[in-house]
Amino acid sequence: MSEVYWFNHAALPLLALLQLVPVIGAAWVWRLARDNPARPASVRLGRVFALLELGLAIALYRGIDTSTAVLQFAEWLPLVGPIAYHAAADGVTVLFVLLVALLVLLLVIYSLVRELPNAGRLLAVMLALEGVLMSQLVTVNLFWFVASSAAEIALVGYLLWFWATSPEKDVMLARFYQFQGTGIALLLLGTLVLGWSHAHATGEWSFDLLDLTRVPVEARVAPIVFFMLFYGLGVRTPIFPLHGWLPVVAQHGNVAIAPVFLLGIKIGIFGLLRYVLPILPEMVVEWHLFVVGFAAAGVFYAALLAFQQSDLRRLLAFAVISHTGLLIMGIFALHPMGFQGGVLLTVNFGLAVTAMWMMTGFVYRRTHTTILARLGGLFDRIPLIGITFLVGGLAIVGMPGTPGFDAAHLVLEASIERFGALPTVAAALGNVAAAGFLLYAFQRAFLAARDQALDREVERASREELWVVGVMMTVLLVAGFYLEPWLRLVEAPLQGLASHFVGVKGL
Amino acid sequence: MDAMWLEMPLLSLLFMTLPIGAALTWFWPRPEQARVIALGTALLDLVIVGVILSRFDPTQAGYQLVEQARWIPSLPVNYLVGVDGLSVFFLPTTVLLFIGVIVASWNTVMSHQRLFFSLLLLLETTTLGIFCALDTVLFFLFWELSLVPLYFLISLWGVGPNRRYAAMKYAMVMLAGGAPLLLGFVLLAFNHADLTGALAFDLPSLLATPVPIETERVVFALLFLGFAVKMPVFPLHTWFPVVAMEGPVAVVALLAGLKLGVYGLIRFAIPLAPAAALEWHWVLAGLGTVAILYGAVAALAQTNLRRMMAYSSLSHVGLIVLALSAFNVQGLQGAVLQLLNFTLVAGGLFIATSFLYQRVGSSDVLSLGGAARSMPILASLFLVLGLASLGLPGTSGFPAELLMLIAALKTHTGAGLAALFGMVLGAAYFLSLYRRAFFGPITSPVVRDAVDLLPRERAVLLVFVGLVIAIGLAPGWLLEMLRPAAELWVARLAMG
Repeated sequence: MSEVYWFNHAALPLLALLQLVPVIGAAWVWRLARDNPARPASVRLGRVFALLELGLAIALYRGIDTSTAVLQFAEWLPLVGPIAYHAAADGVTVLFVLLVALLVLLLVIYSLVRELPNAGRLLAVMLALEGVLMSQLVTVNLFWFVASSAAEIALVGYLLWFWATSPEKDVMLARFYQFQGTGIALLLLGTLVLGWSHAHATGEWSFDLLDLTRVPVEARVAPIVFFMLFYGLGVRTPIFPLHGWLPVVAQHGNVAIAPVFLLGIKIGIFGLLRYVLPILPEMVVEWHLFVVGFAAAGVFYAALLAFQQSDLRRLLAFAVISHTGLLIMGIFALHPMGFQGGVLLTVNFGLAVTAMWMMTGFVYRRTHTTILARLGGLFDRIPLIGITFLVGGLAIVGMPGTPGFDAAHLVLEASIERFGALPTVAAALGNVAAAGFLLYAFQRAFLAARDQALDREVERASREELWVVGVMMTVLLVAGFYLEPWLRLVEAPLQGLASHFVGVKGL
Repeated sequence: MDAMWLEMPLLSLLFMTLPIGAALTWFWPRPEQARVIALGTALLDLVIVGVILSRFDPTQAGYQLVEQARWIPSLPVNYLVGVDGLSVFFLPTTVLLFIGVIVASWNTVMSHQRLFFSLLLLLETTTLGIFCALDTVLFFLFWELSLVPLYFLISLWGVGPNRRYAAMKYAMVMLAGGAPLLLGFVLLAFNHADLTGALAFDLPSLLATPVPIETERVVFALLFLGFAVKMPVFPLHTWFPVVAMEGPVAVVALLAGLKLGVYGLIRFAIPLAPAAALEWHWVLAGLGTVAILYGAVAALAQTNLRRMMAYSSLSHVGLIVLALSAFNVQGLQGAVLQLLNFTLVAGGLFIATSFLYQRVGSSDVLSLGGAARSMPILASLFLVLGLASLGLPGTSGFPAELLMLIAALKTHTGAGLAALFGMVLGAAYFLSLYRRAFFGPITSPVVRDAVDLLPRERAVLLVFVGLVIAIGLAPGWLLEMLRPAAELWVARLAMG
């Protein structure tokens, strides 16, 4: 792995700006909102900052050289010992940065449409989260990644607690922090052992990705490090069987905002690709069948549970767990096509899940419930919201014409190459099962006959809602029919990643 | 050949006009005019298809009007479309059928009219795409995309109380069928990569690549499974009677009239895995025979015209599969002719039934008796189409069935005899149900007061009946146009 510093090929330290702009925005919006909660200035300012961030992300996209796997726009500043500020980006980073910037902008608009209380404060928290997420994406120092992960979890917890939709929020928050706290602790432990291993080999502590990939990890601790990092990230992905927090959080937390931060942006997958795979290739190869076995089991386990749900939000939670299994299968096929498919599928699932959660939020705005038995008949009043929900579902299933198709196609190809036809057929069947429960959810919520006793006039879609709907549809369909730029963006870095696995014993 | 590259991209024009028409239909400010725009778009397409037919050179066996563009170069998936003698005639019949369905739905759509007609146009796009795609992934795209409009059409405008269940069943069965299909195409692409070092998804390169017999068996099984669900073949047919009863009557005409599964078998499954197909001819013949008899016997037991026609179409598909398993020119010509005939006959019968349903509110013979007295024109046109489905001489069904029977009797004599018996049964179920629905005393006041066909309805059915009789009286020119492509198909099979 090598890097190019930002001043060699750019006018601005874009990565630092990407992290700082939202944090400054958050502080500013927070102050405005605290001084005068009724003033709409904070809301307007929040929108401006979210837009600005998307602009920066696009600038990064335009500046990045996609023909190479070299880390670009690198920034380095010594802090305390091995904990340096070190940021750099490659094509995969850029794809995730674009995703985060787009989703946060959509969330800002969504939250204004929903007319949630304390809009200014909400925007401030979302901007702060954006900054923290950007930090996790651009840093190449594992310790820094863990620290900003902890900050993210804390902020999401605040979001869940302050804007919860259910009186059972204490239980929900406790469960969230139990799981996520354990995850962060495992990550931190794994990081410290890695640092020690580096010190053991070279006499100097380091958490820097470039150092850690250069020096092989001490053989005695390598399996432990692998599992600590894998499970630490697994809680957040979430992979079966570490998903226990998700259904509760989905049901009692806020409808769309926290789920989009937690599930729309799969930082767990990013962490696996950025750190675990390149630092511990031997361990990954040794344990990849174990991981794939669990992932495949998770696809079906979660699909089975999804069919049993009576609450739309819990159903979506199990849908996420189910399709995450497919992602893990793609990535742990350890094949260039699997990496590409896995990354694109991650982004696609992020977009699709965001669309589904936001549409659920629009439904909740009208019905104040997501219990399936009490929904129904919505299609007559809000057809476009229903169709967007369905398009999100179809993207998850990998319907041709959505980005899910090409990505799932790549994953299946890699899976055939590596595991043979049978597990691939199983994965494809898992997808069909997902189609089953997502269609079921759509039917129950939008098409089923409405309960006469609960008859109510459902408000038609407003202009702002249609705006969100339009952007979501456009992104999903345009990216679906024209995937080429995104494929090109991630190709070189993922080829680089795949080169770590060339010639490793046991593959 | 070079000159053709320079001409207008006619096929793309066909695909472009439809989504534009669909968008226009959807966003048109006045809902009651949506159907006019939809009909106009479909008629425009009929003109384009006419131009395509006039440019088509029937003496050539290869693909014509080919258009190619890079789509996903890194995979490498291309936008590659074209037609040959086996596919080009499906374009006019498909467009005609859609026009018929639009007219048949003229006054029956009560809610979301704009959405209904724009979904119909989208379905037309994907259907035409299926007939023109020469890249397996592009084909798969159209194939799966056709699910979305159909799902909505069935679940939102179905006539039965279980329409949502029917839509769900249809979607799930088709998605489950799509998985083996895609897998089969991917395996072929990998085989190409093993031999040449590069993946390929386009039909011409895949056809030119030899496949080891072990792989070929797997590929054929996967592709056949994927297509069998759509045809449908016994025992994968259970969705069809359900959808026929629950779905909107006119839309079911599309499912009954367009046998896309059989087209997939002819275009992809058999040519791409010829040795495996030849080896397993008995599977095709056996499944075909079972379907002929099972469909016919099940049709005998029905009292509802729609269910009867669903099972009858199962029986007819069986005969086509049996004829294909002969792997000779007559069998293939007969099969393609029967598919074209089917679009007109089965589609026409369902459209006629939808006219009946609009007037009487049922298609069950128990509530129909004597319908011929109040609706003589409807009854007579229904009879002509029904007789064509039995293969009466003078209708387009006759040359098709004759060719298929000759092919079947030559290669699978026992199965051919069973097929003959199936045709006798066909006459029995059709005529008995027809008699009970249209003749006898009028029992219901609804039937007595029913109005006969309106001019626009009459025009649609007359076009269908006219084509059926025209092809029936002079099938030679059509068969001659099919011949070069059919001979190439058989020759390629013999090489494999």
